[in-house]
Amino acid sequence: MIGMIRLAVFGFLGMTVMYFLLSIYSRSTQREELEKEWDAEQGPGDRDDFIAAGMAAYEKGLRKKLIWLVYVIPTLAVIAAIYLLNFA
Amino acid sequence: MRYVKWTFFTIIAVLLISFFHYTLPQHDIVRIVGTENRRIDFGENSFFWASPDVGTAAGTNRDIRFINAERPTGKIIVYRNEDTGWGWPPYFKLDSSNLQAESQALISTDKANPTWVSVTHYGWRNEFFTIYPNAVSVKQVAGPDVRIIPWFNILFFIVLAGILIMLWRMWAQFRERTIDPTLESIGDRFDEVDARAEGLWARFKAWLATWTGKPRR
Repeated sequence: MIGMIRLAVFGFLGMTVMYFLLSIYSRSTQREELEKEWDAEQGPGDRDDFIAAGMAAYEKGLRKKLIWLVYVIPTLAVIAAIYLLNFA
Repeated sequence: MRYVKWTFFTIIAVLLISFFHYTLPQHDIVRIVGTENRRIDFGENSFFWASPDVGTAAGTNRDIRFINAERPTGKIIVYRNEDTGWGWPPYFKLDSSNLQAESQALISTDKANPTWVSVTHYGWRNEFFTIYPNAVSVKQVAGPDVRIIPWFNILFFIVLAGILIMLWRMWAQFRERTIDPTLESIGDRFDEVDARAEGLWARFKAWLATWTGKPRR
């Protein structure tokens, strides 16, 4: 049992690191896209306001929620592996 | 220097290939000729043994299940059959006892009418260290020439490549958006300081020149 807890704790730590790295990366690419979009069209409105509005939309969007898959996929993979290797 | 570089890369490559060759699953088609339990006292080879059955206590020695088999070529191979539990490598193997029973059910000593099985295993057999590959599962197959496609390994390397490309892109993005602008602003600061210092230096030289009696420019 102690082995399972150890795996869960270290797995959780690893996934959390990956989650934060991916969040930062995803936010950075989103901001870059918005900057390029505004620079190409020189509008609409003020550049900073345009980017702020775009980032606010991103924070509520689907893409940000998809980063939670970093927790879901490895957990499912481990459960699948346990089932397939021992009980299938 | 070139030899040092290539030696370094070769060592890294050999280590990586050995690591994956040891850890990833492989399939052997064999005929199981027997199973046994033996007590093993782990010595300097303890690194190559997995863990005691999940839930049981760890000691300095324990009974280990073995599966003896013969390849189609007539060469023999001995597998150990140990739990990996929750540890490394991550096979999450908890069913050593069941696997031993399955193997016993597939024992085929009749050479004229053999039962061929595909043994999924990881690890190496090495006589110098007395280490054995760890069998993970056994499955009966039609014959010794059955072609087994290593789907898991294919998927594993695709996913690994995907993760590495992702990490590389994350690093590139971080460098482009965070490190480079910071370095640029530091560089600009240096240039400013440099320019100001030059101005001071020129004024200092002009002041020195007043001592020589030259007129100030």
